[in-house]
Amino acid sequence: MKTSVAPAGNRLRSDDLPAYLFLLPWLCGFLFFTLGPTLASLALSFTKFDLLTPPRWIGFENYEYMFLKDQRFGNALKVTFVYLFLEVPLKLCFALGIAVLLDKNIRGGDTYRALFYVPSLLGGSVAIAVLWRQLFQGDGIVNRALYGAFGLEGPSWISNPETSIYTLVLLAVWQFGSPMIIFLAGLRQIPKELYEAASIDGAGKLAQFIKITLPLLAPVIFFNLVLQTIEGFKAFTPAFIISGGTGGPVDSTMFYTLYLYQEAFGHFRMGYAAALAWLLLVIIAIFTAISFITAKYWVHYDDER
Amino acid sequence: MTNLNRRLFTQGILALGAAGTSLPTLAQSGTRLRCFWWGNPERDRRTRAALDAYQKANAGTEVGSESLGWGEYWTKLATQTAAGNAPDLIQMDYRYIYEYARRNTLLPLEGVMPKPLDLSGFSAGARDCGKVDGKLYGVTLGTNSKAMVYDTEMFAKVGVAKLDAAWTWEDMAKIAAEISKVNPGKYWGTGDNSRWEQGFEHYLNQRGKMMYAEDGKAAFKVEDVAEWFELWDKLRKSGACAPAEVVALNTGAIDQYEISRGTAAMSYANSNQVVAFQAIHKSKLALSVFPNLKGGVSGHYIKPAMMMSVSARSRNPQEAAKLIQFMVNEAEGVKALGIERGVPGSSASQALISGDLDALGKAQVDYVAAVSKIAVPLPPPPPKGAGEVEKLLLRVADGVAFGRASVSDGAKQFFTDATNILARA
Repeated sequence: MKTSVAPAGNRLRSDDLPAYLFLLPWLCGFLFFTLGPTLASLALSFTKFDLLTPPRWIGFENYEYMFLKDQRFGNALKVTFVYLFLEVPLKLCFALGIAVLLDKNIRGGDTYRALFYVPSLLGGSVAIAVLWRQLFQGDGIVNRALYGAFGLEGPSWISNPETSIYTLVLLAVWQFGSPMIIFLAGLRQIPKELYEAASIDGAGKLAQFIKITLPLLAPVIFFNLVLQTIEGFKAFTPAFIISGGTGGPVDSTMFYTLYLYQEAFGHFRMGYAAALAWLLLVIIAIFTAISFITAKYWVHYDDER
Repeated sequence: MTNLNRRLFTQGILALGAAGTSLPTLAQSGTRLRCFWWGNPERDRRTRAALDAYQKANAGTEVGSESLGWGEYWTKLATQTAAGNAPDLIQMDYRYIYEYARRNTLLPLEGVMPKPLDLSGFSAGARDCGKVDGKLYGVTLGTNSKAMVYDTEMFAKVGVAKLDAAWTWEDMAKIAAEISKVNPGKYWGTGDNSRWEQGFEHYLNQRGKMMYAEDGKAAFKVEDVAEWFELWDKLRKSGACAPAEVVALNTGAIDQYEISRGTAAMSYANSNQVVAFQAIHKSKLALSVFPNLKGGVSGHYIKPAMMMSVSARSRNPQEAAKLIQFMVNEAEGVKALGIERGVPGSSASQALISGDLDALGKAQVDYVAAVSKIAVPLPPPPPKGAGEVEKLLLRVADGVAFGRASVSDGAKQFFTDATNILARA
């Protein structure tokens, strides 16, 4: 390189320029399509805005309505939390269980791993939601199987407000692929000597799992927990498709995100929907913070030893 | 070296940018129209056939088409309108035309009449329902009225060869109960209409009452709601009406209705929709008025099933108007569309398709003609918030059907919440 030697300040700038140039597309995208709209939505959350007429500033009215008057908001929160508290632990347990099984070098393990991952590739799609509708309606395959095997007359799972949410939980748990892969990677990191030493000391399989696998896997469990919690809050497509966009029957599958969508694009209350979105952001932030704070007590990383 | 590279890089970026800006100019040669409607596969097929015929006859005009279900349609239209990117041709509903017209998003059609758009053949009623504040914003593509769609085969099984137009709620309960006995626990006489706004509205209209007053407030009382829920509660308990679990699967798309799913012999819809119902139904369907009230009025009215409007921001309003003219007045367009969107507004167009009609098509035309003789006046368009009240009814009525709320509690909840929604809208 035969570039002339420039004063230090100048050289710094000319060296940085290409970096910024290459960053430019991303930076523009971030500023104009992420940060800008995010801030705009914060401003909109203090307005009444129906898309067709200009927004009108109404101060904290949206937030007041949300906390004091809106019963459907409370219901949407309840439905989301019920979903979340069932779906996340079940999915993680299931993913961990399968990962432990796959970790034992069984024949065709790679094939099984690929197969188990397939639902995660398909899971969020519209087609699967439609399939779920077919499976779990009154005369669907699930009830026919129940009747054939046990002579049981099952309810129409999907259209009964008592059971509809569980079909969505099941759909989510079925997509255990990505946490499973991450668990599997975590399991492979655990030194085999530890298990050998433990078995020499007379520890059974269960004791080994509790005393060795779980503690050493804690960082991975934590990572999956945070990720799945955020994913859970964001769940939308299955409820939207399965209930035909209504969140029904009787609001039993009215996820927070679905309610937000309905308020925004069904009833054209963009201001109120923006307020709902910001509250969701705060809720997710709180949950993530709780996870991180409690993590001190149950997650320890290798390099801390 | 680095300098040279940097210059090359910058030039490359500039060149790319220039190429990008020149693209839109290329795409603009020739006339391009966008047409957007809500519907069903049958309507899509017919409309695309009409648009193809138009493009063949008008070389140089390209018509893009897009269709969605009812719910998503209004979402997308509002978003596009707000972004200043509304389609040129917008299928419009009586429910929304006031809102869109008064916000100056639709083109007043006086400027493109009588050439290329000529509505002189329309009956005054069919033409004027597209007027808002004295100006015309929408052209009726067809008129319809509420109608009960029923399975003639199932009716024949219980000895009803043809339903009498004077049938009453009592007749309905009796026939439905009989049909429910044919295949017990699997098939019922009637679908549940308690959850659909149009059913409740008809029930009010039959009693000389209205759903909404001129000022946009609720015109019904809590007792009306209670009576309505009670009526259907009895039908459900007697086994005449399909149970909540079966009914809740009906999200309002034509293939989800009880009659289409093969779970009931009667469903409640609009007269033009019988075409789409029949398209996916094996046995023969027929149309009837909703059950009559002894000593009441018919409660049916004739309304524009849907209209075609032109966006106020359309670059080619003349071309757009020409396409509407093709759809409502010219033989090729009229024939392609048929009566899937309802009975055409002009008598000449009605005559054009009368030869092609199958039995069900004739039945639809006769039905609209018969209803217009006993019709009540067209109520004012539903107020803002009416769409939300419609969903509220669905939710509350389902709650009653599932036994989560009593009839009187449900009625109270619906009345209170509806009042609040209308006040907030």
